[in-house]
Amino acid sequence: MKWIAALGLLASSVVGFALAADVDAQLDRDSVQVGNGAQLTLRISGGRAGQPEIPQVENLIVQPQGQSQQTQWINGVTTVSVTYSYIIGSNTPGDYQIPAIEIMVDGKKNSTQPLKLKVLADAASQAPPGMPNPSGNPSTKQETTPSEDQFGFLTVEPATSDRKYVYVGEIAPVRIRAWIPAEARAQLRSGIQPEGKAFTLHHVSDQPQQTQEMKDGKRYLVVTWFGGISATKAGTYPASLSLQANVAVKDESAPAPRRSRGGPFDDPFFDSVFDRMNTRYIQKDVTLTSRDQEIEVRPLPSEGKPAGFTGAVGQFKLNATNIPAEWQTGDPQQVTASVSGAGNFALVKAPALMPEENWKTYQAKDEFTPGDQASFSGTKIFQFSAVPRKGDAQDVGLSFSYFDPTDAQYKTLASATKKIQVAGADLVETKKETTPEPPQEAKKPADNLIAQKSAETASGSFVPLVSQPAFYSWLGLASGLMMLGRFLAFFKQRFNDPKRQAHAALEKATRHALHTAGECLAAKDAAGFFAAARLAIQQRLGSLWNQPAQAITLAEISERIPANSPVTSFFREADLYEYSRHATAEEMFPRWRQMLDQALTSLNPPAR
Amino acid sequence: MKRSFYKMLSCLLLLFISATHVFAEKSASIDQANKLFLSGDFAAAASAYQQTIDIHGPSSSLLYNLGNSHYRLGQYGPAILAYERAKLLPPRDPDLIANLNLARKAATVFDKSALDPRLEAAIHWLSRNEWSWWVVGAALWMGGISVACGITQISRNFIRFSLVFASLTMIAGSTALFLRRDEDKRGIVLSKDAAVHLSPFEKAEIIGTPGAGRMVRMGDKNGEYFYVSVPGTELHGWMAEKDVDMIEKK
Repeated sequence: MKWIAALGLLASSVVGFALAADVDAQLDRDSVQVGNGAQLTLRISGGRAGQPEIPQVENLIVQPQGQSQQTQWINGVTTVSVTYSYIIGSNTPGDYQIPAIEIMVDGKKNSTQPLKLKVLADAASQAPPGMPNPSGNPSTKQETTPSEDQFGFLTVEPATSDRKYVYVGEIAPVRIRAWIPAEARAQLRSGIQPEGKAFTLHHVSDQPQQTQEMKDGKRYLVVTWFGGISATKAGTYPASLSLQANVAVKDESAPAPRRSRGGPFDDPFFDSVFDRMNTRYIQKDVTLTSRDQEIEVRPLPSEGKPAGFTGAVGQFKLNATNIPAEWQTGDPQQVTASVSGAGNFALVKAPALMPEENWKTYQAKDEFTPGDQASFSGTKIFQFSAVPRKGDAQDVGLSFSYFDPTDAQYKTLASATKKIQVAGADLVETKKETTPEPPQEAKKPADNLIAQKSAETASGSFVPLVSQPAFYSWLGLASGLMMLGRFLAFFKQRFNDPKRQAHAALEKATRHALHTAGECLAAKDAAGFFAAARLAIQQRLGSLWNQPAQAITLAEISERIPANSPVTSFFREADLYEYSRHATAEEMFPRWRQMLDQALTSLNPPAR
Repeated sequence: MKRSFYKMLSCLLLLFISATHVFAEKSASIDQANKLFLSGDFAAAASAYQQTIDIHGPSSSLLYNLGNSHYRLGQYGPAILAYERAKLLPPRDPDLIANLNLARKAATVFDKSALDPRLEAAIHWLSRNEWSWWVVGAALWMGGISVACGITQISRNFIRFSLVFASLTMIAGSTALFLRRDEDKRGIVLSKDAAVHLSPFEKAEIIGTPGAGRMVRMGDKNGEYFYVSVPGTELHGWMAEKDVDMIEKK
């Protein structure tokens, strides 16, 4: 069995090797600067191949970087792939095409697709260190000293609007981008901060996007945030932002290490490649700043400002509202409203109940659900307590005012009115304290703090009942009551049981009959004695046999009880007396009494 | 017989007179504190309210007024503590909730719960004390119904309705108490400079400062330090007794 499995494994391995060969070549970038190299990765899988040869292209320099082999065994299929790495670059700008690379795999010719590489001229037309200068002049150290811009910079651009101005309080969506040289190692040490106090930054996205972009012929890692900026004062201000970062850039000014000449890599290009690999890094804590871009901040117009305007700037909609239909003057109830749209939601306050003079409202609780990454758009749900001041039926609605920066005008939204019924008399505003207001009160900040309470309330404990032993005592008492109730119910049911009641009545009747029999015996009344004694025995039998006492006759007794039993004997004696009616001798009474006792004893259940 | 009756009557009269006196004294001290508040002497008002609470026991209105006094003094930690304590007595006073929110906003602390807001509102509609009494009341009602059924004949529909009502009340109350079981360990940071130390010593390394009014979970006490952890953060350590106070103070 094991042999079969081993053969199966071997076969599957062979199948794996026998799969079609695959050859693939890829460049890690499309363009490089003069003197810099791109990495070419050549991957051969599915067979054994010889050392590949990269076709020669004029002015294109190819340096092998090594090879690696990878073996995979998935579901019994073995795949071996060999990867060759090369650095490819040039000292001459231009568009280069690397022709298809031909490789013999297991005796069969395979080829890759042709590749294109653009070699860009340096922005300053200078050769980087270690590369021959196209002008023939040696590059100076001063030219390669790292400047602040070499560590990166910030840019701020409007994200959506075409307007070149904003209004006071408006949150203008912006895109903030940090440009960091692609070869640098950077670690951000702070969030984006506004420089100066003219603008405030809002809702900068937590998870910035990262891309690689070319700018002025240089490759950058671009980190993009979305957020909003707002200003509190009118004027024209530079929208400067900053970002703390620790950036390490390669020190291109460091002297190139001396290497022996005349080897296979005796080419200035390889000098550049090796230099770049060996160049030390300059690490620096830098503040990336945005190049000043001025933004005009316009004041909100004073004409047409609605009374209920709280500073909301943007485009909003008043959505669902929930106003209870029945109220009581003086009693607070919850009102819910929702405002959605785009703008400065931080200044969007709860819509006001109209007519305003009929209501006292409290500060609203709100919950904002952002509609985009920068929380510029979304929905804010308000819930606030309101107390009606006036009774009777009323038409009530909600009103919300804002400034629309696009139309440059104030707008007021009103919800559909709702008919409500307010019970109770109108509230009369009275002052709680009769003492005159001291002058200090007037100086207090208008912070909506609700005044002192003059009415005294009952004292209580901070510790709730559940944290006190009394809680468990009460629950114990409740459990005891439940058990007592169950106990009482059990006895009540037992007491009211009809079977038990019938049995008790029968016992009582039997005792009565025996008592009568005893009396008859004392009075020497034989007929009365037999009648009462027979009834007592019939009742006892009726109880035992579960049938009416009157229905029990001698014939039935003879059928169910042996003929020599005391009960049968007594019944026979009673019948004998009944039908003979002869004079009774005095000495017969004790014997009948004895027979009755024996008959009753025989009917009692035996003692255990 | 007559003599003992007069003795009892005298005792009751004495009790009534002393109760009236205590009530009058309490009202006078509250009036005095209110006047101090209105005159703008918030520190004296806070002291007067605190003294009245110490002598006559806490009440919702006294704690509310004490919170207002601290708020006016800019002492948001003690203000939030007073409002939170007032909330233990009746949690539905809209004035109290509005002022507590104001104080939290001023102290830049926010009470964010992990629960669904609707469930949060439902379980906080009653205080833990009120929920406890509802649970006990429902249990006693079930016990009473059980005893009554054992003694006399009661309408089956009435029993059914009572048992369903009492069971639902007990389930709701027990759930609310279970979800709020950690509230007895809540404390409020009193000063903005209150520091969380690595160990319970004054010179121990400071790990962080949660800020005045911040709610913390209080643990063991070691000397004059409480072990505290700040919900929603990784901050936990020892805080001086003078800088933090338990809301449900025993």
